[in-house]
Parts: sequence; structure tokens; C-alpha cells
Amino acid sequence: MGSKSDIVPLGGERRRLKMDHKDESLAQVKEALKAAGLGQSLSRRQFLKVSGVTVAGMSALGFLLSKGEAKTPLVIMDQAQGLVVADPTRCVGCRRCELACTEFNDGKASPTLSRIKVSRNLNFGPKGVYGGQRGHGNWGDGLIVQDLCKQCPHPVPCANACPNDAIVVKPPLNARMVDLEKCIGCKMCQRACPWEMMSFDAETNKATKCFLCNGKPKCVEACPAEALAFVPWRDVTDKIPPRVVPTAIVSPEKAASCNECHKR
Amino acid sequence: MVRYGGWSGKVLRVDLSSGRIWTEDTIEKYRDFLGGTGIGYKVLWDEVPAGTKPFDPGNKIIFGVGPLAGTGAPCNGRTAITTLWPTCSPMPLVATGHMGGHFAAALKYAGYDAIVIEGKADRPVWLSIVDQKVEIKDARRLWGQGIRRTTIDISQEIGAEASVAAIGQAGENLVPMSVVINSFSHSAGGVGAVMGSKNLKAIGVLGTGSVHIAADKSEWEKLIKLHLSLLGANNQHVVPNSPQPWAEYYSPGSRWVASKGRRWGAADPPLETGTCDPHEVNRIAYRTNNAAYFLGKEIWKYTIRGNGCTSCPIRCHTMLKVPAAKAKYGFSEVGQNTCVGLLFGRSFFKTIPDGPQGQTALEACMVGMHLADDLGIWCNYGQLQRDLIKLYYDGYIKQKLGEKEFKSYSWDKYEKGDPTFLMELLPRIANKDGELATALGLGTGYMLARWGISEEEWKKDYNAVYWKMGHPKHHSNEDAGQCGVIINTQYNRDAQCHSHSNFTRNGLPLEVQKRLAAEIWGSPDAVDAVGAYTPMNRYKARMAKWSLLRKELHDSLSLCNWMGPWVASPLKERGYRGDDSLESLLYSLATGDRKSREELDQVAERIFLLHRALTIRDMGTVEMRTKHDTIPAWVFYDPAGKAPFSKGTNRMDPKDMETAMDMFYEEMEWDPKTGAPTESAYRKVGLAAVADELKKKGGLP
Repeated sequence: MGSKSDIVPLGGERRRLKMDHKDESLAQVKEALKAAGLGQSLSRRQFLKVSGVTVAGMSALGFLLSKGEAKTPLVIMDQAQGLVVADPTRCVGCRRCELACTEFNDGKASPTLSRIKVSRNLNFGPKGVYGGQRGHGNWGDGLIVQDLCKQCPHPVPCANACPNDAIVVKPPLNARMVDLEKCIGCKMCQRACPWEMMSFDAETNKATKCFLCNGKPKCVEACPAEALAFVPWRDVTDKIPPRVVPTAIVSPEKAASCNECHKR
Repeated sequence: MVRYGGWSGKVLRVDLSSGRIWTEDTIEKYRDFLGGTGIGYKVLWDEVPAGTKPFDPGNKIIFGVGPLAGTGAPCNGRTAITTLWPTCSPMPLVATGHMGGHFAAALKYAGYDAIVIEGKADRPVWLSIVDQKVEIKDARRLWGQGIRRTTIDISQEIGAEASVAAIGQAGENLVPMSVVINSFSHSAGGVGAVMGSKNLKAIGVLGTGSVHIAADKSEWEKLIKLHLSLLGANNQHVVPNSPQPWAEYYSPGSRWVASKGRRWGAADPPLETGTCDPHEVNRIAYRTNNAAYFLGKEIWKYTIRGNGCTSCPIRCHTMLKVPAAKAKYGFSEVGQNTCVGLLFGRSFFKTIPDGPQGQTALEACMVGMHLADDLGIWCNYGQLQRDLIKLYYDGYIKQKLGEKEFKSYSWDKYEKGDPTFLMELLPRIANKDGELATALGLGTGYMLARWGISEEEWKKDYNAVYWKMGHPKHHSNEDAGQCGVIINTQYNRDAQCHSHSNFTRNGLPLEVQKRLAAEIWGSPDAVDAVGAYTPMNRYKARMAKWSLLRKELHDSLSLCNWMGPWVASPLKERGYRGDDSLESLLYSLATGDRKSREELDQVAERIFLLHRALTIRDMGTVEMRTKHDTIPAWVFYDPAGKAPFSKGTNRMDPKDMETAMDMFYEEMEWDPKTGAPTESAYRKVGLAAVADELKKKGGLP
């Protein structure tokens, strides 16, 4: 982060937790929490359970965290607060969700860019064309599966894979979103998501993903069949089968933070 | 140069004879014609000389979409296909076919506003469009396959998300009554054989790009929400077809069929459609079930869901699951279509067990749509079926066929209404197998000529509803009196115009319609109650002009004329008003080329006049009134002998219709004697060069 400023804005892209292997870093974190009146003597594991609200409070103390090494990998801890869920038996395959997502957020219609993904399952279902007329989709039994971002809990695969820490949390919903200033368009995040939910804008060379439209998801508003709903977050990562085997690599620095917090 | 939104900016050109592929700048060359049919007419006018035949390599086929295709504007899924029409008799003239589905959007995302195809490949090919990468590919392994197999094969090659527009065996075999189909069930009639004549089996499009909106995104969002709030059900029917707690009015003829207790019974689990208050914009998709509308209440239990085009919340293609389709006939139990495509199979039978809404009728529909949409056979808005019924029951078939061929069909099954008869007949039409199948595949005009039957025989048959030049009526006097008749005189195939019928059939009481009509066309007298018509007046002519221009506007912008215009709405608080400016607002915000309603209507008039100019040039006469804009005798007939303008008849009066045509030509500022546009009419809409060229050929009145 390397901030030179004494005042770090609350939330947004600058909020990051330092979880490196240096003991003094952890001491700094503890000190920070204590100063915020939050932590007495948190163990590393307890620290992992710090709620989104608590972590948001920490960001005011980012200057402390920034005193450490120049490279302080971002590891998202806070839980998202909302989620868009879908009912495939109601989907009518009109793609208005994809168009609302991109027109009202990006000023252009582009299903490829959409953060809700229906088009790819529209004809033949998630298994693709090999299902022929026996699969799902318009060419099969009619079921259209809408793919949505799960707003993953820690560890967040897309964020962890990003070499530039460009996938950040945005309060108060804590949606995981792409910081366009940091994204360099390397597509590592695309390789990391088991559900292929990262989108890529070829015109700007930037990644994008569902950020819950800051609490008023355009896709939900656009659906003419009540097939989408915006609900309190729950963990669906173990309920929905992955589309692909992720092939992204986590940087050694982040891997080291995992070791730091999880080793016993 | 100004950067516009809406358009992709390029027109893709393909010469199959030389294999050359290139692009043109849409804005530079075609902006004044918008897109869709506008580009189609422009290319034919500039590049395809009079006398060219539909299957000549020199004929061109244009797949055109407009600036709104691929955007979130509701109802923008249609691709307009323009070419010289093989079923137009006695000479082929310009006409257009229109398919919904996802092809239009795919084309835009790939970066193209249109594809112009010319020439003829030396062997079967298909056109692969994956964004900028365009290739002519070998289709020998696909030739002879149905549309469904072809689509699956091409999707395997370029991707499951691709949109594939393919022809079946009918198109390959140059059967004029053939279609191109994309997205399983979305067909455009009449053009399959034009593709076949070019050895072009299919066009596969995979587009990953964007359509830019020129306006501020929040302004666009506001407009889209306004448009959505004004939508009714299919055909813009704005009242429900049964009493609903929220509804002031209802009309049994409405396609707004949702109601408490009516469920998508084959959804798993079943889904209630509910009362669908018009303010519930998240329930618009439940309003329409065209299978239930056409085939009756038993259909609800077979309904999986509604389906349809890109961006359209009105799902007019109903997806059905009918186990008998597989168990009894061996077809997939899942099928989908709308309107005449849905009824394709049933319509061949004069009688059918347990009636037109019974189980056998449904099975005939399933068998018919599976066969027709795989073989790629066109019904010519039901004329194919009406022709077979008339030919059989009037004894022509027995008379024209040799005994051997006659006996090769199971006519006992046909008379009984057995759907397996379709499994005999339809593959033979697609393969030109025998005299009957070949004749039926020609289209009505050329079929009658081949069999030496007078066209007048057909023109006087009240039940055959044949109009002229090989094609039937399409929303004529039965929906809008003289206005409908005028509209049906103007095209070289069935009129395919819904601007007028979407208003007169919207379900609102006559007094409300009259109030709205006064605002739109200047007088409440523009509309009558259906089946209780009054003599002609100039407001009806104005409505006819408006209807035609909006049709061309929709076909050029890529808005669905089966849904628009939106001049009435289901909103009581608006006095059931819609918005006559929606098209120009959508166009202006999407493209950034700000045009008022009047300005955009003038562009539509330009496009409509280019169609007229092409017709005059290719017919080689200005005598449109007597040689083109003709009205069949059945329009002036009533089976019960009722007089014109009496209650309960659609019968028109010949003298009154002459007045109607006079008023229409006057409204268009055309020459009333010939019915041809005058030089000043062309100049007024920016077609001076067209007028000059017509002048040289004696094409001006």
C-alpha cells in the first residue's frame, strides 16, 4: 500500500489487512484493534473471525498497517452482506438481466461483460452443446440456469488470485469488486473462479464482477419473471457445483499469509 | 466524425462466388436508411438490376438489423431478411422475412449491422462469423441434414452460445416455400431456397462485443423503464382476457391470458401465472401464453414456460412438453413456437378428432412444428395448409395427380385428422417428391399456374383468404376495415403489418379506443368496432399511412412490429395512453442522432418509398393501382349475405374501397390515378436520385 498519508479513507480499495509472516506485523494489528477498542488479545484464529463491521473499523488504522513492508498482500476477511440468487425454473431466457447489468452500469449492452451469466447456458444448458437436445436450455428441457457470483467467503478465489490486489471489498454490503485503477487485465481472476463469474471488458482491458450494484441489483430489477432475488448473504459455495477446475496460482506472499494465520 | 451509439458501424459483405469478404461503413453508406429492411431495400436498389431472378447468383440476400438490436430496448429481437422473393408471382419482386430469436443481437455483438450475401459458392458452405473472424466454411457434411442437426454441429464448432441461422432440406432443394431458422423455432419465410441457391447452408454467429448507448446511462434507464411500463401482452393487448382484481376492462380476445389458477403446469414445480397487475413489471413474462390462447385451456398443463427473443419480456413462443409427441410419433416431447408456427401441423386438417383444441390437434401441432422447423418448410402464413384443404376437398388433387401418386398418400388418414399424415406429406414437400409436393412447395401463385387453375378461383374463396401475388391476407378487413385492406395492397407478399391490428384488437372498449384515436390520428372516426365498420374517411387513411410507416420503422430499427407501436397501454392512470414517441426516443438516446417523432417518421417514409420504387422498377410499370394494389373478391362478400357496414360483417363495399384508395394515395401525396409516388413525393423524403432513375425508365406518373 505504501501510503504516505496519515489519514486513510474509510473502506473501499485502500482497506487491506496485513497478514504477513512477521510477528511484529501481527503485533501492529493487535495494537490497532486494541486502539480501536475492539481486540484485547486476539489469537490469529480469532482474528480470522472478526466480523465485517469490526474489520471496517480497522481500516481507519490503515496507516499502522502500512508501516510494515512495502508488499502487504490483501486477504479479504469480511463476509458479504447480500447475494443475488436465482430460480432456474422461472427463467424465460430473455437476457434482460444481462442487458440491465451492462447498459445501466457500463452504458453499453454486452452479455459477455455481464456479471450475471445466462447467455452461455441459454441454448444447451451449463454442460454445453454436447447435451444436444437432451440437456437443458432452449434446445433441451427448457431449464435456463442463471450463473451468479457467490460473493465468496474467505478465502475469496478471485481476490486471492489477483497479483495486484485489485479485487476489494466495498462496504457496507462488502461485495467483492474490481478496483479498475489497480486491475491490469491479466485475467488471473478469470482462472481462479470455479464458477467462471469474472467478466472481462475487451474495450477497456479490465476485469469486472458482480458488485451487487451497491445494494440495488439492476438484474433483479430487470427480470420480467421474478426469477432473481436479492437476499441476505449465505454461503452457497458448497451448494453449487463448479463449472471449471480453477487454474490460477496464489502468489507466494498470499500463500505465506495463509500459512501465518492457519498454522497451529 | 461523430461516434454514434446503437449501430455496430459495419456491414459485412460476402461474395460466395469469389470467396471475397469485406466490410462497409454503416454510417457513411446506410445511416439514412437506419438498418434492417432499410439497408435491404437500399442494397437491392443500388446493386440488383431489374430482371434478376431470386435464384440467380446476382440476387442478394440481406440479413439486416438496426441500431436497437442487441440493446435493452424491449422487443428488439428481430432480423429483417430482404431479397427477391421466390413465391411472389407472376414475377419475383422485393420482399422481406423476419425472424426473432437471438440472431439479431449476436450479429450486433459480433460487430455488424447487416450481412449482404451475393454470388453462389461452388459447393455447400456455411458462413462462420466469430467477431472479426469471418470465414466461408465447407458444409458438405451438413448438406442433407435438418436444421436442428446443422445447428448443433455448428455450435459444436464455434461455441454453445452461437446463434445459428440454418436452412433445412427444403431450402437446399430450392423449394420456394422454405425458411431459415435460428434459436430453435424462430423462422423467416420464403428465403430458405435463396440461401440454398447460393449453396449457403447456414450462418453461425458468435459475438462477444457490445452495443454502445450514446445517451447518459441513467437517461437510458429511465426510458427503458417507461417503455416497460407501457407494455401489454403479446400484440400489445392491454387488457386481460378474464376479469382481474386490478382491471377495469377485460376482453376474451386478448392474449393477456395470465390469471390466478392458470399455471405453467409442466414447469417443475408448476408455476402460478397470477393476476399480473400491469405495475408488476417483474411479472410481465407471465402475461402471455400463446399456446393457451390458440389451443385452449388444456394447454396450461403442458406449458413449461414462455420463451422468445433477446430482451423481450413478452414471451410469445410457448415452450410445451407433450409426452405423446415422443410416445406416439417419436419426436421430442418438448417443442415451442407461436401463432401460425405453433398451429402449422393442425392447420392442414379440415377435421380433426376432438376438435381444434383437443388432444389430437395438439399432437398435430407438435408433429407439424418439429417437422417444419427441421426440414425448413414455410407455411406462407397458413396459405400452404389452406391450399391443401381447398385442393383436396375441391377435387383438384385427384384430378391433377396420376393414380399411382394419388394412392401413395394415406388420404383416409388425412380426412380423419391423423397427425401421422404430416410425416408422409412434409418430407415430400422438402424433397420435391412427386407432383403434389412439388406444386405445394412452389407457393400458391406458381402452384395455380402450374396446374392451370385461375387465380380468380382463389381470390373469391372467403375461407382461403388468399390475397394476391401468391400470398394471403395478413390482418386485413377482419381487424381494421378499410385500413387493413389498404395495408394488404401494399406489399409483394402478405403484409406482415401489425401497427393497426395491435391497436384495434388491444381489448380496450371502443369509446377508449376512439378517444386515443382522436389524439393519434386526428379523429375518433379513424377506428370502428371490429365487424361494425363505417364508410371510409380520411382519418382511416391517415391511420393506414401511420401503420405502414411504423412497420418499416420497426423493421429497420429492430423493434418488433408484432408488439409495437405502443400508443395504448394497460395503465388506467394514463387514460390507457401509450407513447407515440417511443421509437424516436429509443433511437435518439441509443444512437445520439437526435430525431423527433416526425423526423423519424420521415425516415420511415423514405424506406417505405424505396420499397415502392423497387416494386415499380422491377414490375416495369407505374400502374400500381390496377396492377399491384389489388383487392380480392372475397373482401366484398359475406357468407351470410350481410350488406357492407352492417353489424357482424367484415364485408367491404367496392365503391367505398375505391374512395379508400383515393384517400390513401392522397395522404401519401402519390398520384391517385396510377397509385405511384410522384417525383415530389420522392424528393420530399430525400430520394431525388431514385426519382431521377425512375424518370429515365418511365417509372414516374
